[in-house]
Amino acid sequence: MNPTGGFVLPVILALPLLGALFVMLTPRGEGSIARGVGLVVSTATFVMSLLVLRYFDGKAAGYQLTTDAVWVKSLGIHMKLGIDGISLWLVLLTTFLTPLTLLAATKSIEKHVREFVAAFLVLETGMLGAFVSLDLFVFYVFWEVMLIPMYLLIGIWGGQRRLYASIKFVLYTMVGSLLMLVAIFYLYVQHGQVTGIYTTELTHITETGQTLGLAHLVLPHDAQVWCFAAFALAFAIKIPLFPLHTWLPDAHVEAPTPGSVILAGVLLKLGIYGFIRLAMPLFPHGAAVLAPYIAILAVVGIVYGAVVAFAQDDVKKLVAYSSVSHLGFCAIGLFSLTVSGIEGSIYAMLSHGLTTGGLFLGIGMLYERRHTRRLAEYGGIWKQMPVFSGLYLIIVMGSAGLPGLSGFVGEFLSLFGTFNAGDTFPTNWPHYLPSPRLLAAISTTGVILGAIYLLFMFQKVFFGPLDKAKNGHLPDLSIREKAVFLPLVVLIFVLGFFPRPFLAKMEPSVKAFIADYHEKLAEPDGPARMMNAEGSPDALKAKLEGAAAKLDAAAARLGGNAGGQP
Amino acid sequence: MNFATGDALYIAPILILALAGLLLVLAEAFYTGKDRTALAGLAVAGGVAAAVASIALYRHLDPGQHRYLYGEMLVADRTGYALSALLSVVIALAALVAPAHMRAHDWAIGEYFGILLLAGTGMLMLAHASHLATVFLGVETMSIGVYVMTALRRRSRRGNEAAMKYFLMGAFATGFLLYGMALVYGATGTTSLVAVRERLASGNLALLTVGTFLMVAAFAFKVAAVPFHMWAPDAYEGAPTPVTAFMAAAVKVAAVAAMIRVFGQFLGGEKLPYGTLGWASPMVVLAAITITVGNIAAIRQDNVKRMLAYSSISHGGVLLVGLCAMGLGSPSGQSALVYYLIAYALTTMGAFAVVSYVGSKQNERLGIDDWAGLASKHPAAALAMTVCLLSLGGMPPTGGFFAKWYVFKSAMDAQDQQLLWVTIIGVVNSAVSIFYYLKLVTAMYFKDATGEFTPSRSAGLTFTMALCAVVVLAMGLFPTTWLGFGG
Repeated sequence: MNPTGGFVLPVILALPLLGALFVMLTPRGEGSIARGVGLVVSTATFVMSLLVLRYFDGKAAGYQLTTDAVWVKSLGIHMKLGIDGISLWLVLLTTFLTPLTLLAATKSIEKHVREFVAAFLVLETGMLGAFVSLDLFVFYVFWEVMLIPMYLLIGIWGGQRRLYASIKFVLYTMVGSLLMLVAIFYLYVQHGQVTGIYTTELTHITETGQTLGLAHLVLPHDAQVWCFAAFALAFAIKIPLFPLHTWLPDAHVEAPTPGSVILAGVLLKLGIYGFIRLAMPLFPHGAAVLAPYIAILAVVGIVYGAVVAFAQDDVKKLVAYSSVSHLGFCAIGLFSLTVSGIEGSIYAMLSHGLTTGGLFLGIGMLYERRHTRRLAEYGGIWKQMPVFSGLYLIIVMGSAGLPGLSGFVGEFLSLFGTFNAGDTFPTNWPHYLPSPRLLAAISTTGVILGAIYLLFMFQKVFFGPLDKAKNGHLPDLSIREKAVFLPLVVLIFVLGFFPRPFLAKMEPSVKAFIADYHEKLAEPDGPARMMNAEGSPDALKAKLEGAAAKLDAAAARLGGNAGGQP
Repeated sequence: MNFATGDALYIAPILILALAGLLLVLAEAFYTGKDRTALAGLAVAGGVAAAVASIALYRHLDPGQHRYLYGEMLVADRTGYALSALLSVVIALAALVAPAHMRAHDWAIGEYFGILLLAGTGMLMLAHASHLATVFLGVETMSIGVYVMTALRRRSRRGNEAAMKYFLMGAFATGFLLYGMALVYGATGTTSLVAVRERLASGNLALLTVGTFLMVAAFAFKVAAVPFHMWAPDAYEGAPTPVTAFMAAAVKVAAVAAMIRVFGQFLGGEKLPYGTLGWASPMVVLAAITITVGNIAAIRQDNVKRMLAYSSISHGGVLLVGLCAMGLGSPSGQSALVYYLIAYALTTMGAFAVVSYVGSKQNERLGIDDWAGLASKHPAAALAMTVCLLSLGGMPPTGGFFAKWYVFKSAMDAQDQQLLWVTIIGVVNSAVSIFYYLKLVTAMYFKDATGEFTPSRSAGLTFTMALCAVVVLAMGLFPTTWLGFGG
């Protein structure tokens, strides 16, 4: 572990928030000042986040760059932050996309610019906080805090049906996350009653096999299933898995371009991330029971999203459904529980963040010129905007999973992992469900369908005769727009050609995650109790006795008080 | 009974409010000036003085220490003074927001201030009650004051209807309360709650059960729990907004404070000695129904005051959950309830202050559509309202979020199957409630203004809005400071 660098995470959390406050102090109506401040702050955050790479030890598993400050002492709530190979790239993706998106938003956002920049920066803090918090309470706070700025982004700067879409977005997400809250309560109280220590700090409740000697909480198996289901609902809505995806097309279509970019680029990833970071390590037996069903939903989503995307006339809707399809690959890779599957899942998230972010940015640039998103209104754009078309082709190909570009690596790995999961994955895979190999085979059709609808879209927009008069005088990309696209395109190439350095940093954490999962899966059913990482009976007994003594003391204290109320 | 002379010191906050109230009644009679709102200053001073005295006494006592006053009539402890301070602050704020509303809607009635403080006297008594007689006295002193305040606008039909309804319902509740107390007395042979507790195990179980059930029903009227809530939306809508704020914030706090004493501390606090038939069983059901019905009814409202009324009903349900948790022996139940009360009272006060601010002369602008575009015309008021609404909806990082978290956590802590279910119901209802709170946020931020706003400005109103919004945020960001008040 590297003790230095603990300051980085608090700083990248605080910077956008302070930036948001500062933006609100700039004069009203001076949009360019607010934009400038937003760009500077978010770029500074990105630069700071690069420091994470400097301090991060790519060979170690477990959390690094940790900081820990007590927030609410009496309830055991810690402002504990840390990062590991799983969250590392997602944090960088967030800090990378934010300044690009702000830069791209110069034209599309014209009213209330100051408030827009502030909401956007608060959103960044929310997303980063959810990725790096190592405390259930803090995670939940960030998870919910993200909702408000996104709701405002859709509601204030959105399209025609923005009121409907913004409320739908908030309600869907809230319903899911509140049941997760109940499960958090349950976990918190169980842990408190077993150990006598009430805390929401994640590392207290569950320790990975890497930090030997420390114990983790084991819940009764049926309780694990219920709790996992509650967490899974929250995360499945966020991903979104079929059939909980219906909020996504509405939110995407109505959101302004920057909102869509961040929604697809980062917010959806929090669903998958939540499964890896919280749901599966906390309730492994629940995961084992429900994983087959989630995997099947993911596969349905892959095919369904692709087919529905094909039928869309609105470009934004098309890309929104393609997100449903692509996130399905991430989910199935994750639930394969193989190293390559999970690495593929994370990689596919990174790639999806870049490519779909790019797709939405491009749509935004077209929209600014033509004020329509209907495929039928376009055609022959290549002749007018060759630079844009070339860059957009690369992004489309990256999204479709062309080898050599970023999308291919993630999808290949997660399908490969799923295909090979046959023996390890479903310890209790019910025989009446399709086997993982069949699921992988079906999912592969999603790659083909993906290529079809994306190329179909590209063809309709950019090729063909230039027969609409309005398309006749479209200016090509400005320098600002090129500056938005170039980093994206470069990274899509880099991720496609050199996956090794990225995967290498994930690998120790992913391996530890899987080992930890299987270790916990071997634990027998029983009442809530503490287990140490090796599961040695002696240590366990000592732990239980300690807990019992604490309980007795607590009971004595309560009993003594009872007569003397109040 | 032995009357220790030092006891008077411990009821200083109550005495201050009573004296200031009487003084105001006199002042109103002899005051010759035209502008009756000038009396607000004295009322605010009374409230602030009572709050200061409460805080001083709070600091004077050690945690966990308690002292019975005047026999076992009242009890002085930190929880009581924390709630006294909260109530006094709410009273002061209710006096502070009134003048602007009075001027805008022509009801400058000086009695408002005197009755406000006298009703407050009853409330403070409830926060310290440890005897059935003081509970009854407190409830009646508070209620009669509030009935009158509801009817202050004599020419308003709605106001008269509301007050009549409130009064009749309240009279019923009083009947229930007295009958319940009589049965508890029959079972235990004493009206001192301290002695009642000692004799719980030996008392007649049937009398005790019926008696406590009747008392639950009586208090359910006061906190407007479903199905005893019928008066609340009408009374909230019909009363002048400052009175509504006072009813929603202070009356609920006082009623719950009394319930903390009666049910939480003296008739509960551990697994109930009289088994599953204990008062917690009906209360859990009441809580679940109250949260659900309150929220669902609120969705359909397009009048801001009625919406907030139903929202306050559903918050009463959450408070009942906390009371059940406390009654069933959850160690954190009491401190969760006190925290919730502080957050809820200040949030509600802030929200109604904004409602009062938005109303222009002769036009209260109570429809949700009337709030369209407020954010672009009066961003600070819209922001304060948003903070309060998010807190009511339980969104982080506000005090309301933390309060909900804490109450439901303490409910889970009681290890009771019923409480697990009511927790799930309560938490799911939070999502429902977000819908109607956001309806107002949507109107303020996403829609364009239809006309000019001519808000009723006053320094007191601005101060109240700012104070409530800031405290509600501070409670969410730095909960530690506020958690200790519950003991």
